[in-house]
Amino acid sequence: MSQLFKIVLGLVIATLITTTAQAQLLQIQSEHLLPKDAVTVFSINNISLLQKISMDELVNYEFMSEVHQELFDGSTSGKTLKDAGLDFNQRLNLFYGKSNTHELTGFTFGVSDKTALFEVFDDFQVVQSPLPGLEIYGTFFNQLLIKDNKAMLIRIEPTMEHIDAVTDSIWYARGNEMPFDFFEEASQEEQILDEQTYEDNPNTNVFPEATENPAVKNYYELRDSVQVILQQAELARVIDEIFVQGINLYNFDPRFAAQLTHNAEGVFYLDNARNLDKSEGLWYFQTVLPSLYKDIQELYAGNVILGDLFLRDNKVDFEVEAQYGPALGSVYAQMNDAKFDQNVLAYIPAQSPAYFTYNINLEQAYEQAYKVLLPLLSDEKNAQIAMNVLTLELLNEFINKEALFDTYKGSMFGTFNGIKKVKIKKIQFDYDETFAYTEVETETEAEMPIFTLGFSTARADVPELVLKHMARLSSRVQRFENYWRIDNAILDAAPLYIINTGKLLIFTNDEDLARLHPKGYGKGALGKKQCKLARQSGFMYGSVDISKTLDGFPTEVLRPRNAEIVSSLKGKSGQLVLTSSETNAEHTTFKMSYSYEGTESTGKHLLDLVNSLYLIYTLNP
Amino acid sequence: MKYILVFLLIGLLSACIEISDDLTLNNDGSGTLRYKINLSASKVKVNSILALDSLDGKPVPSKAQISAKINEFVRILDAQVGISNVLVEENYTDFIFKFSCDFSSIKNLQDGIKLSIAQISNEKITAAADQFWLSWDGNTLVRSIPSYITQQIKNYKLEDAELLKEGMYTSIARFERPVASFENKLGTLSKNQMAVMVRTNTFELKENQHLLDNTIVLTPR
Repeated sequence: MSQLFKIVLGLVIATLITTTAQAQLLQIQSEHLLPKDAVTVFSINNISLLQKISMDELVNYEFMSEVHQELFDGSTSGKTLKDAGLDFNQRLNLFYGKSNTHELTGFTFGVSDKTALFEVFDDFQVVQSPLPGLEIYGTFFNQLLIKDNKAMLIRIEPTMEHIDAVTDSIWYARGNEMPFDFFEEASQEEQILDEQTYEDNPNTNVFPEATENPAVKNYYELRDSVQVILQQAELARVIDEIFVQGINLYNFDPRFAAQLTHNAEGVFYLDNARNLDKSEGLWYFQTVLPSLYKDIQELYAGNVILGDLFLRDNKVDFEVEAQYGPALGSVYAQMNDAKFDQNVLAYIPAQSPAYFTYNINLEQAYEQAYKVLLPLLSDEKNAQIAMNVLTLELLNEFINKEALFDTYKGSMFGTFNGIKKVKIKKIQFDYDETFAYTEVETETEAEMPIFTLGFSTARADVPELVLKHMARLSSRVQRFENYWRIDNAILDAAPLYIINTGKLLIFTNDEDLARLHPKGYGKGALGKKQCKLARQSGFMYGSVDISKTLDGFPTEVLRPRNAEIVSSLKGKSGQLVLTSSETNAEHTTFKMSYSYEGTESTGKHLLDLVNSLYLIYTLNP
Repeated sequence: MKYILVFLLIGLLSACIEISDDLTLNNDGSGTLRYKINLSASKVKVNSILALDSLDGKPVPSKAQISAKINEFVRILDAQVGISNVLVEENYTDFIFKFSCDFSSIKNLQDGIKLSIAQISNEKITAAADQFWLSWDGNTLVRSIPSYITQQIKNYKLEDAELLKEGMYTSIARFERPVASFENKLGTLSKNQMAVMVRTNTFELKENQHLLDNTIVLTPR
């Protein structure tokens, strides 16, 4: 698998190359080879990228040396990806797909020089092709299919469940006994897991002996054969589907085809509905509650995530659209039909390295979800579900929903305010003149990340009621003029402050906020421009000053190598902003923008980041 | 053992720590060892580490797992020849851990600890662990910091220097009769002249792991 990933990495990086890019219209070519079973695709528009990133610069990066080494394996020293025979006028499409029986991974790309290409893919052997004009090459794991100037590198893996099912079927049909008993297998597993024992005794026989008759396969040999046959059969099916019937993702899903028309450097496609269909986690629903599963499928119908990646001046934009069907869309539309709570803005300091606001209408979302989901559940003839439905309906009748959703409306905000020193108590050993020992409680300071989380509320009396009773039960909960304090609530060491403004319920470990700014930061709060951006964003808005945030990140909790990565990024990072549009019953759009200051090109900035990561990883093995 | 080591690592490598070893030695060579680790100044950090699944590629044990392993160590040590009254106090609020045991002889103490560590860690006794850190001839006590600790102190990171300077290692030796002399210049004699204490911060100890070594000579009986 790692080999495939390295090849993919090489090709992805190749797309970041520019030479003398010829301006010509992009033709739909390599996309025609994408299997229709692909549920996730990242498609890179090479031409567009080629105009923005310099290849000559790129090949000088340290990380390129390894890619070249991997692809050209020393036999073609001195060559670069420029010489790899790739057609940079076509898109590079990386895909992943999963059916109930197989997983498919790979990528499709354009070929400009086949001879040069096979100097890269030099370990692929010719395989007999069933179709004229289609060339097939293979290694143990991967297959390379070439038609005209288009190629697909694909890896097909039957799922273990499918292999086992077919193997068992053949095994027992041949009149065999159970291939292993449970207890024997358990002890074998133990032996395999004990690496030391296994290494010390490489001849440890943990697998069944070969049968006496070499023409008869034991269970594991049969399973290996089944795996190969299933792979071959699936490959034949994919070949037939794409090259004979002409069915591929491009003509199977018009949303994907439409996405490819965007003038973006990269395009992302994730079919959530089909993802759900193939999800192993829903096995229980599929087998035990088939009608409910069908209802869930219908609920998810039309659920797809489409994204565009744009490289702009000093900026990388990733625009994502989540589309959904009418049922789910109606819930989302109701959930996001919330008025922005202006009160939160006063509690976000202007210098906050990272913050977010989130506005939802939980009551409307609940009502709509109740309306959409309850009928589905009510139809189910299952005792457990029937009891759950009854409970839900009773709660719906008896609970004061108005009070509940007024207390917790769903809208919230959060801030990370950097690292501050907080006072904590410590015990110190003290010795007298005879060295007799006593313990003395003193104060010390500890560094702690400062977070604030606030919720909109229309029923400030409810949390107040809870806090009053908590204070009666524990001396750790204390009431002050503008706030409550719970001692040792954070990591058993630092206090948590709760500010109940009447409209917001705020939790923070920032003593300054509780003591000095219980009514907000005033002029020290977020500026007008940022406030406007947050207000105008849809149901959510997020902003991260990566450099400032990383400066305050407690790197000691990371592995040393990761800590170095974080440290190295501090000098290269910019601003990340996440916004969303208003949601309607059909879709929600999100936009993530990464911007930085400086004169270097966006591509170079990104490559510098990649190279920093590479250097750290290779210099600290 | 890995749980104890991980726990020690939490303290020794990244936190402000106070350690105290307190040896009471009777004239017949028997005595009591008290060992205390105080991480209360770093409880924010320790708590945040305990909240992680892994640290530096090693799994972080839960408090229950640490406690179980400590108690297993106590049980094993209590069964060693010449060791008795093994007690442990665990305070997971302030992260203070106190250990004490009685011993019949210095040799029993060192062998007992060495064998217990080997047994609990399922490892052979390492060369470092095999070294003796105490010797007593009836009049003179020669002592150093146990290699289990100095090995860990070596791993201190230099970038933690400020934190290390706040940490403290105290080593006390108490006797039944007055002390005639001692070699370590950092040492102080108690008012009753029956005990010697040497102290240094953990930064200095990282720089020189023999800083607290001492040879103490007692007055003749």
